[in-house]
Amino acid sequence: MSMHGSSLEAKLVILGSQGVGKTSLVMRYVQNTFSPHSASTIGASFLTQRMQVFGVIRRGYVDDCRVVLQIWDTAGQERFRSMAPMYYRGANAAILVYDITSEQSFQDISSWVEELQRNTGDIDIHVVGSKLDLAEKSREVPQERAQAYVRNTLGSLHDVHEVSAKDATGVDELFHDVTRSLVERTYEIERTRRERQAGDVQLRDGRQEASDQACCNV
Amino acid sequence: MTDTKTARDLLDMNTKMSRFEKFRRVLSEPNVDMRELRKLSWSGIPEELRPMAWQLLMGYLPCNSERREQTLARKRKEYAECVAQAFARGEAGLDQTIWHQIHIDVPRTHPHIQLYQQTATQEALERILYCWAIRHPASGYVQGINDLLTPFFQVFLSSYVSVDTDLEEFDIGELPEEVLTVIEADSFWCMTKLLDGIQDNYTHGQPGIQRQIGRLRELIGRIDAPLAQHLESESVEYIQFSFRWMNCLLMRELSLRNVVRMWDTYLAEESDGFSDFHVYVCAAFLIKWSATLRKMDFQDMITFLQSVPTATWTDRDVEMLLSEAFMWKTLFHNAPGHLAHRK
Repeated sequence: MSMHGSSLEAKLVILGSQGVGKTSLVMRYVQNTFSPHSASTIGASFLTQRMQVFGVIRRGYVDDCRVVLQIWDTAGQERFRSMAPMYYRGANAAILVYDITSEQSFQDISSWVEELQRNTGDIDIHVVGSKLDLAEKSREVPQERAQAYVRNTLGSLHDVHEVSAKDATGVDELFHDVTRSLVERTYEIERTRRERQAGDVQLRDGRQEASDQACCNV
Repeated sequence: MTDTKTARDLLDMNTKMSRFEKFRRVLSEPNVDMRELRKLSWSGIPEELRPMAWQLLMGYLPCNSERREQTLARKRKEYAECVAQAFARGEAGLDQTIWHQIHIDVPRTHPHIQLYQQTATQEALERILYCWAIRHPASGYVQGINDLLTPFFQVFLSSYVSVDTDLEEFDIGELPEEVLTVIEADSFWCMTKLLDGIQDNYTHGQPGIQRQIGRLRELIGRIDAPLAQHLESESVEYIQFSFRWMNCLLMRELSLRNVVRMWDTYLAEESDGFSDFHVYVCAAFLIKWSATLRKMDFQDMITFLQSVPTATWTDRDVEMLLSEAFMWKTLFHNAPGHLAHRK
């Protein structure tokens, strides 16, 4: 992830089982379109989207940050799974998608979480239940259970997102949350680094350096 | 003006008719001369003769005309038995993992072509893919194989409808059931033969594709060094754009019509059309956009390469691509790197 003043470029990877609607989710977000049958993704496809996150605290000031999201939408079929590391390595965030009408696709999420936690340093994980428009008719995964799983696995500050690419429910909010979280994490990392540098200087010089104000506010 | 145009049209028609005549002669021999058929097919097969020519080139239809009827009857029966056996207990009797993968993938096959959105077509594709998958446990069903089935299905379907029918809009319900069964069986066997030749594209780790991507990279380095350097300096990995080119044999990059023309040549290329020769085609395809790509950064390149502008491509464009590929193959096939670099 690289930052230029108040703009940053972030890499996002979309993972999940075959047919859960990864491509539909991304197409709804990037192009605001939906088609009930899209050709299967082979390998992965790449999309970018610009967005702005307002009101993030940076160095003690309220900041608006322009973000370019580079999105890798990966193929879901098991056979292509060995290619996934190529796309999640170096990614800043991962969206793990299951289909709320498929218990199996939800079961598959845990192996993704484990794989990401094992193979990446600090990737920001978001769990997303898709096809919310089918909830009444054919839901198999209760929201409470998904929520409990997410809190247990990723921490109490995390929520499961339920969305529908078909009727656009929750899609923009999801990507907005993901992006905001990325910006906050980036600022956090930046702050830590500055503190550490400041600390280094103190040690070297043996005298007090003015430390950055920002640390108190984040 | 009009006169010269008419003259050119006439000339064109003459060439077409004489080609058609040549094909007809070769195909009506009691023992088809495969070398001759290959030679002719390389430059494209007339539509009306394509179903038969493809079946011969695939090695499905025997060269010897006396053996044909019996062979086809046996093969079609064998397929019917395979279907009957696999589906004997309805959906509940199927391997659920394989069936699920196929069942949700088939409606995603050519989603914009009407023919493939019809239930009867989809059910035929499902049966073919399922029977193939259970007979090939080392690979099983892999996404993209559904694409590879459709040129056969469509070409064989063309035998049973009038020449001027737009197949992509054809109502499959108009066909008698026994005809659909025949198309289905022939498509199954020809797809099986095609996949036999490229099976390691779809086994664990997809080694065939990995090898092809490596080969593509090496070829671009030799043929178009500035492009190779530009891709490298922008950190574009070949696998990021060419994996799909190999997994679906460029079917996601070209129209079905273009692909059918391309397969005339692939089938004419002895045994390696769908593997080795395909890599040269991919190289020619990439180099076609070299000037455009070299002005782009990573994001623009990847975006461009996953929706290459081929919507207006005609047979002529495909033929140009194939000739370029042939040229690269002639220059570089079996040529060790150190010789190729020496000038």
